[in-house]
Amino acid sequence: MTLGFGDYLSLMGAESLLTGLVMLMILLGLYLKNKNIQGYLALAGLGIALFLSIGADMTKGPIFFGTIEVDALSQFFKLIFISVSLIVVLAGLTRYKDSPAQDEFYILLLLATIGMMVVASSIDLLTLWIGFELASISTYAMAAFDKEKRNLEAAMKYFIFGSVSSAMMLFGFSILYGLTGSTRIAEVAASSMEMMGPATLVALLFVVAGFGFKMALVPFHMWAPDTYEGSPTIVTAFLAAGSKKMGFVAAFKVIFIALVALRLEWFMAFAVLVAITMTLGNVVAIWQKSVKRMLAYSSVAYAGYIAIAFVVVGAVNNGGFDLGVAQNGIAASLMLILGHAFSKTGAFIAVAVVGYMALREGRNNPDDIEHYAGLGRRAPITAFCMLVFLFSLSGIPPTAGFVGKFLVWGSAMDSGLVWLAVLFALNSALSLYYYLRVIMYMYMKEPAGAKIAEPRGYVLAMVVALVAVFYIGIFPQAFVDFASSAAAVLLH
Amino acid sequence: MVPLVLYVLLASTMFVIGLYGLLTQRNGIKLMMCVEILLNSAIINLVAFSAYLPNVNGQVFALFAIALAAAEAGVGFAIMIALYRLYGTIELDNINALRW
Repeated sequence: MTLGFGDYLSLMGAESLLTGLVMLMILLGLYLKNKNIQGYLALAGLGIALFLSIGADMTKGPIFFGTIEVDALSQFFKLIFISVSLIVVLAGLTRYKDSPAQDEFYILLLLATIGMMVVASSIDLLTLWIGFELASISTYAMAAFDKEKRNLEAAMKYFIFGSVSSAMMLFGFSILYGLTGSTRIAEVAASSMEMMGPATLVALLFVVAGFGFKMALVPFHMWAPDTYEGSPTIVTAFLAAGSKKMGFVAAFKVIFIALVALRLEWFMAFAVLVAITMTLGNVVAIWQKSVKRMLAYSSVAYAGYIAIAFVVVGAVNNGGFDLGVAQNGIAASLMLILGHAFSKTGAFIAVAVVGYMALREGRNNPDDIEHYAGLGRRAPITAFCMLVFLFSLSGIPPTAGFVGKFLVWGSAMDSGLVWLAVLFALNSALSLYYYLRVIMYMYMKEPAGAKIAEPRGYVLAMVVALVAVFYIGIFPQAFVDFASSAAAVLLH
Repeated sequence: MVPLVLYVLLASTMFVIGLYGLLTQRNGIKLMMCVEILLNSAIINLVAFSAYLPNVNGQVFALFAIALAAAEAGVGFAIMIALYRLYGTIELDNINALRW
């Protein structure tokens, strides 16, 4: 089937629109005196892009010489990326109001979003790598955005680990290309199944390491807490909820080659890795004094929860369960990703509000848990939103986090990984401890200061995330169906 | 014609050198150079495979990789310069406020 220009435009409508918008914003940034309008431009662009992505036809097949495909999987992730970006822009409207360099923030944010969207629809290693790099390079600059000492340290660590991981990934891709003579993911998968050898294993090891950095799986997680703590808080929200999910969609696309090819001997190694990741994330999170760093470690734990899907698929491959179990496993992980994206963005923005408050009162360590004392009375909206996001992260109904955790637990049981399911439940209980500690500070301690005026952009951003968390939690069916058809794309 | 295995050997050696440098060096600029060595080893691989397969995909990939490596180096050096202005050093051992 040949597709005309109009088809390309409708399939890649969101990406084209955002790319055009970025160009426009760069030009406008040169001439405008008051740059506050740039944020609203970015907001409008993302809003339209959201509708364009929802409306895109998912049946057209590959475009751009078989390198890009618009399917349920890509659209599911684009939905997450655009929404997270939208929420971060809302917060940015307050955070960078009247700042002279604010247009650069929105431009970098949009570029990173475009990169993630390209990764989500790539079916070729080349486009996947380019999208990955576009998103990574933009986020390196975003992490350093305020040019304070801790920002730069965070950005430096992020940059070193990130560039090493992308170099490793490229090295792995180059070996895969040499072995199979193609860069199409499907062809690479088919050929490496036929001629499985030590070289394929080495290549896959490099690729897994490259994605592992982005997903912050143990033992590639060292950069994540430092970078998340040091970056400007709304950038942290974007890193944890957007950029990390890009690692997962890339991994879903590529590591499945590995899991199909690797069979029994290796999937147990992966299961152990997942178990260590979630346990370590939670145990270390317990004794953090900084709420931002605690949330960063909980992100590491979440990487473990989400990666259970890889283990489930491996188990299904070996144990002779039917493909339905694998599909449910992946769909469950996608739901967990969805819930985590909204809850984590919201939680980090609540942290940003408290940090903003503490800095205005001239205190050190703006993320310290002491500043949360009595937040329920000092900033009631922020405190309530934080409460809901923390409940969602710990998996209490009726929130989005509960749906994801419930489904993941069920899929782990179905595939016969009872020990992993039990460990997952224990970890969830453990995580409840440090989430509840924040809630206890917010509602049961005496306020440390007077009531404050909550910044409007942040409140709006949190409310959007709050609505999403409740909506997905109360009416999950449509999202589960969507996730299920996205999972089917990977398994067909 | 030079056998393919020599190219792959060269690329692997460069990769190991880059990785060794990353683990032992603590100067920001040296780390950047090590990252470039890693990327270039992958690019040599791509071009060599592309010439021997023969199949032009690898060379296209290499061109994109070169461009992106340059962009990455640009952002990396910008971060290093900003670090130097604030800390007066890019010895990364001295820049370690964020930990556990």
